[in-house]
Amino acid sequence: MTPAGRARSWAHSPVALLRLDAEGRILEANDTFLAWANGEGTGAQAPEDGAGAPASDADAGTRPDVRGRRLSDLLTVGGRIYWETHMAPILTLQGRVDEVAVELRTPGAPLPVLLSAVARTEAPEPVVDVALFAAQERARFERELVAAREAAEHAAARLQWVQEATAELSGAAGLREVTDALVRSVERHPAVESAQLRDDGALGDAGASLVVPVTGTRQAFGALVVTPHRRPGDVPIDPDALAIIAQQGGVALERARLHEQSESVARELQHAMLTQNLPRRADLEVNAEYRPAVSGLEVGGDWYDAFGLDDTTVALALGDIVGHGLHAATAMGQLRTATQALAAPGLGPAATLELLDQFVRRRQVGFASTLVYAELDTTTGTLSYACAGHLPPLLVRDGGAEYLWEGRSAPLGVPNLRGPRAEGSVLLKPGDVVLLYTDGVVERRDRPLRAGLDQLAAVAAERGIGDEGELLSHFFDAEANQRDDACVLHVAWHGAPASSDGSSGGASDGAEPAAAGLTAAGAALAATDAITGLGSKSWLHLT
Amino acid sequence: MVFAHGFGCDQSMWRLVAPRFEADHRVVLFDHAGAGGADPALYDDDRHATLDGYAGDVVDLLDELALGPVVFVGHSVSATIGLLAAARRPDLFDRLVLVGPSPRYIDDDGYRGGFSTEEIDELLATMDTNYLGWSSVMAPVIMGNPDRPELGAELTELFCRTDPTVAQRFARATFLSDNRADLAAVRTPSLVVQCREDVIAPVEVGRYVHENLEGSRFALIDAVGHCPNLSAPDALVAAMREYLSEPAREPVVA
Repeated sequence: MTPAGRARSWAHSPVALLRLDAEGRILEANDTFLAWANGEGTGAQAPEDGAGAPASDADAGTRPDVRGRRLSDLLTVGGRIYWETHMAPILTLQGRVDEVAVELRTPGAPLPVLLSAVARTEAPEPVVDVALFAAQERARFERELVAAREAAEHAAARLQWVQEATAELSGAAGLREVTDALVRSVERHPAVESAQLRDDGALGDAGASLVVPVTGTRQAFGALVVTPHRRPGDVPIDPDALAIIAQQGGVALERARLHEQSESVARELQHAMLTQNLPRRADLEVNAEYRPAVSGLEVGGDWYDAFGLDDTTVALALGDIVGHGLHAATAMGQLRTATQALAAPGLGPAATLELLDQFVRRRQVGFASTLVYAELDTTTGTLSYACAGHLPPLLVRDGGAEYLWEGRSAPLGVPNLRGPRAEGSVLLKPGDVVLLYTDGVVERRDRPLRAGLDQLAAVAAERGIGDEGELLSHFFDAEANQRDDACVLHVAWHGAPASSDGSSGGASDGAEPAAAGLTAAGAALAATDAITGLGSKSWLHLT
Repeated sequence: MVFAHGFGCDQSMWRLVAPRFEADHRVVLFDHAGAGGADPALYDDDRHATLDGYAGDVVDLLDELALGPVVFVGHSVSATIGLLAAARRPDLFDRLVLVGPSPRYIDDDGYRGGFSTEEIDELLATMDTNYLGWSSVMAPVIMGNPDRPELGAELTELFCRTDPTVAQRFARATFLSDNRADLAAVRTPSLVVQCREDVIAPVEVGRYVHENLEGSRFALIDAVGHCPNLSAPDALVAAMREYLSEPAREPVVA
């Protein structure tokens, strides 16, 4: 090629060529570069100008001269900073850079180019030779790639934030815990300085904050006010993800509020239905201890009752309804009422349970619930009892304790394949104590039931009688069971007054007219009184 | 003598300067969190969202290695990081050498930082959308066969290696910060080294730092660009030597 040919080849090369001095100033630029910098486009950019045709010489004279200017000044600001902070250092250290994507400033839109440069240190003066390739297509493709990558990263970061919030919210119980979990989840984002849930509508000072409504499907819980750090290096907060978390928080709050409301109703119901006025007389003491499961967990179905069946017989009942919450509380009330109504003098525990079986099947209430039902003849000390799937009564006598394993049959409503329900009986001695209790007292996940029973027996034997009302707290001090309700009925028989001491017979005699009145009215009346609570109150008159 | 690199690269930026002080100084080089050979696990989204976090790293480094009081040489954004660290723990710093410092890159009322808000936004957008241009494309360049064999292959591999996500955040922390008010809190004697022509930290900015920094000296060197540590190492070393040979002065008392 002739020198003139080479010169033309340099001037009209399909790539823009530059020679810079050591300080990055342009010494020479070919026509292609001048045309690009003048906004005349490239072949690839403007095919209508003649596909791939080099810029014509005719325009060359009117193009601004770029000699003496620094190349970095001709790049957009991103490229300029990149040149100064990356490319110039690398040229110095390594002598060359290859295919760096930058943009050339033009009178029109910036022109994406790939820049390669070689530093030539040989004499006489060190120079840098630069070639720029037009890269619109590549830039477009890259933008798509980058957009796809950003979308993927964005989605991943968003997913992680939301997933962590979901996990946190699902592990929270109760309004306060859910609120804390919501705030904590939002504050986990590194760009969030603080978050709070406001329900007072006072958002006047929230100017610099993100405010997202928190609503459930039926209720509003105010707004989540999120204050960003606004530090320069912070990643942006994704408003969509924040909205999703707020929405999940709203649903969780609503669930928690409904749950707490129903729990509170259930507890009140249960409390109201549990007998407060237990029989209390000279020859008999009945006490109940009840410990609900820790707050936030559902109300269990433990219940107990004690009422006079006739003037000498006291009925004792303690059961555990299958299920939890409001449903269990209402079933408990029905079963308790049915027990009071169906129990009758002379019927006996097994027959009473069979009547209850019919009630359970007919009314479809309390199926498979367990119940221990006992009747104590206070004149003789005879305790007859029957357990419908329930744990055995515990007899505490003379510093020892033994379980009463007679009279066992299936839970209520469950067909009893072994024939009629069984009942057992035991003759109490004065001073004996009988404990009826629910599984929450002895069952724990971390030990076999047998061990729980042994421990209850040991504690009861050690405490003896006269510690009424303290057994559960004593038992639970060491053995905290927080997952289930626990209930104990504590029955102490002191012996028939007439047989042990004649002087106390007066009290017994004095009681008889009142009791006789009940007897005269018949069992049905006694049961009615019991249902309204008068039955148990009448015991107060007897003492 | 501790050398801190600026935005865009790592401690390799000092390879033409730091060795020249090894004869009479204990020279310590390090990479900022997220840059060069630093353990990627040490980069913390929260801590490194501000230059204060980087300044805390410098204080921790000096404490950990019991280096203070030191001559701290900070290039570009590391000049600001050094100023923040010196304001926090003056006892660790004997003198500061600030190469191409800028306390704020964006123009403000009566202040010329060199960039408009739009330009910095454009830079950040460029970094956001130009992932490949800012990182992946650079990688083969950096790994490629250098014509300067003296660099050594093992160093070349680490040279300027930066996680693009971290680089993006570092750029935000660098270019969106305003640390002009922090200058008043610095009492450590300092030298501002300014290149005659620098599009990133123009001469006005260097003078502004000098005028607002008590006990500072100003040295204008005959260099073009933002990285005199590479483009004009002789001039930079001469300016530093001249400054360090001056008798130590008592720190300015406010």
